Amino acid sequence: METFGLLLDGVFTSLQWFNLALLIFGCLIGLFVGAMPGLGSVNGVAILIPITFIVPPTAAIIFLAAVYYGAMYGGAISSVMLGIPGASTAVATVFDGRPLAVKGEAMTALTAAAVGSFVGGTVSVILFTLFAPPLAEVALRFNAPETFALMVMAFATFVGLGGDDIPKTIFSILIGLALSTIGLDLITGKPRLIFFNIPGFLHGINFLVLAIGIYGIGEMLWTLEETKGKVQMSKLSVNMKEVGRAFGALKKTLMAMNIGSFLGFFVGILPAAGATPASLMSYGITKQLSKNSKEFGTGVPAGVVAPECANNSASTGSMLPMLTLGIPGSPTTAILLGGMILWGLTPGPLLFTQEPEFVWGLIGSLYIANFFTLVLNIALIPAFLMVLRIPFAILAPVIFVLCVTGGYAPTQSLHDVWLMLLFGFGGYVLRKLDYPVAPAVLSIVLGPLAENALRQSLILSDGSMGIFFDFASKPIAAIIMYIAIVLLIMPAFGPLYRKIFKKTLSKA
Amino acid sequence: MSIVNKFTVRRAEITVAVVLALCSIALMTKSAQNRITWSAEENMGAGFLPFYLSLGMLICTVLTIVKFILKKSPQSKDTSAFIDPEAFKFVSVTLISLIVLVFTIGYLGIYFSLIFFLAFYLRYFSEKSISFITIFSLTTPILTFLFFEWLLKIPLPQGISEPLFYPVYDFMYGKITMPIKMIFIVLTIFLPTALVLLINRFIK
Repeated sequence: METFGLLLDGVFTSLQWFNLALLIFGCLIGLFVGAMPGLGSVNGVAILIPITFIVPPTAAIIFLAAVYYGAMYGGAISSVMLGIPGASTAVATVFDGRPLAVKGEAMTALTAAAVGSFVGGTVSVILFTLFAPPLAEVALRFNAPETFALMVMAFATFVGLGGDDIPKTIFSILIGLALSTIGLDLITGKPRLIFFNIPGFLHGINFLVLAIGIYGIGEMLWTLEETKGKVQMSKLSVNMKEVGRAFGALKKTLMAMNIGSFLGFFVGILPAAGATPASLMSYGITKQLSKNSKEFGTGVPAGVVAPECANNSASTGSMLPMLTLGIPGSPTTAILLGGMILWGLTPGPLLFTQEPEFVWGLIGSLYIANFFTLVLNIALIPAFLMVLRIPFAILAPVIFVLCVTGGYAPTQSLHDVWLMLLFGFGGYVLRKLDYPVAPAVLSIVLGPLAENALRQSLILSDGSMGIFFDFASKPIAAIIMYIAIVLLIMPAFGPLYRKIFKKTLSKA
Repeated sequence: MSIVNKFTVRRAEITVAVVLALCSIALMTKSAQNRITWSAEENMGAGFLPFYLSLGMLICTVLTIVKFILKKSPQSKDTSAFIDPEAFKFVSVTLISLIVLVFTIGYLGIYFSLIFFLAFYLRYFSEKSISFITIFSLTTPILTFLFFEWLLKIPLPQGISEPLFYPVYDFMYGKITMPIKMIFIVLTIFLPTALVLLINRFIK
């Protein structure tokens, strides 16, 4: 009952005119960002976070969560119309969305994607409301050793469940952590890793510099290479009859909706997983369980609903560990978590008691954003198609301008812009060679928090690492640590997850 | 066969792994300038974490090199071009123009640098008319100025062009009423479009 009252307060917070205006604006930008090939929620949030410094944290998180949410909806538009995923989270949507568009049923695919996203979003936000308060209550009992163990587990999930080359994944985690140690050491006050005595390194490397570099500059270089500035769009007829027919086709997708919503939420909670594997797994499992599994890939609405349900559900799921434990569940939430630190908040369970307006405002806004995004998505399909016709050669420089100004604004230092450029190019090259970049962004955000937790734990234990493995005094930390160890050695045994992941990809 | 074609994924894999290994060694050396030991009495030295993190990075890159030598990674067997020549043009020109942009920001200031960057980029990659490019290249910096300096109150670098903005600041923070300011802002946004249209008409 108390939860319901707090939720109602949150809904009212997000309905205040300023927050609501930002929410709708965020949904629109999210839809736009998601619809553009190559740009996804993580790019939108990374590029836009610097402009949220002028508004209160609650309004800022409502805006960015709406961008995140909208991008999950928008990704389907280019997957269906161009055959190019709007974001990696919409890769699985291409499998059946594109064949539907080629058959002349693009409106069915787009409606299925929008309704699927709505159902996934609604189910997951209800699950979020139910799970978040008790989890935060448990997390309130966590001290430094438990916090550090949780962070180790977050890194370990990338190794165990990420599905990428293991040495490259660990390298990505370690480089993010190493970059986070640059600057003044808070305990000893000594400068660390000040290259060529450049004073710009003294204030450390802001996570935004790496995030905008990788997800702004690097991603654009990647997309320019992939598309060479050219796109081929399907034809679309929009009328009420088409929309009605599309809704009729959704009757057969109930199973896909169930699988996508629940699977997406729980996969989204895992730090390494997020919306992309959630949507691929949801597609794979729905296909395997379907009576008409052979029709998948030729253009069936269930093949669009399953991944779209899952990616929206996972995006909400990934916010659960971010809010309750202070551990992001996806690269986008890693950037949101970094944003919270910039806005002067302490991520973690204390937010529920110290900043209830912020937490419940965010949760309430997810309900509202879900509704608005569905309406805007279907109503504005013709407008998004016009946007998709904008050549990349025009869009790219605009995004570069946003990256350069966004990289400069937080610290007002050109040094950071140079670093951003370097990270952008480095991220682009590393990504081409299958180095996962998301772990680096996650670890540069978590690095300072992990270092603090480690040092505090070692002070508690008089310098003994045994504190993390002692069932008698710190049972939760020990359990989490052992789970982390299992995750680290998991790749050696060929986990089921990777099998499903790869099978789905190869079949599609 | 061009140099771009000769630079295969295989070559890129080993080159990048070696460069990253060298960077890890550099990080270890730099970290070792601080104390890298850790004991219960002395707690953790300032260099301890960066040193062992970079040591871990070095081990990972060595493993990547070993996998390359044993041909265990997909990249070690891939003899296709790392980047195809047409895409190379897009990526390299973009990268060089971005480097020039950031370099000129320090001297010319961001707004004038953006004009040149946008004009060059659009002229090189898009097939848009000179009029469109002119309008686009002039309007974007104006919008950037209004957004950052007026709305967010974040000053962006202006380099040698700074004195040119003094009258604008006088206007922004002067005693002129808001409706008049708004009219001037709208006029400024559409000024490039109006000028280009006027010049086009005059030429015709």
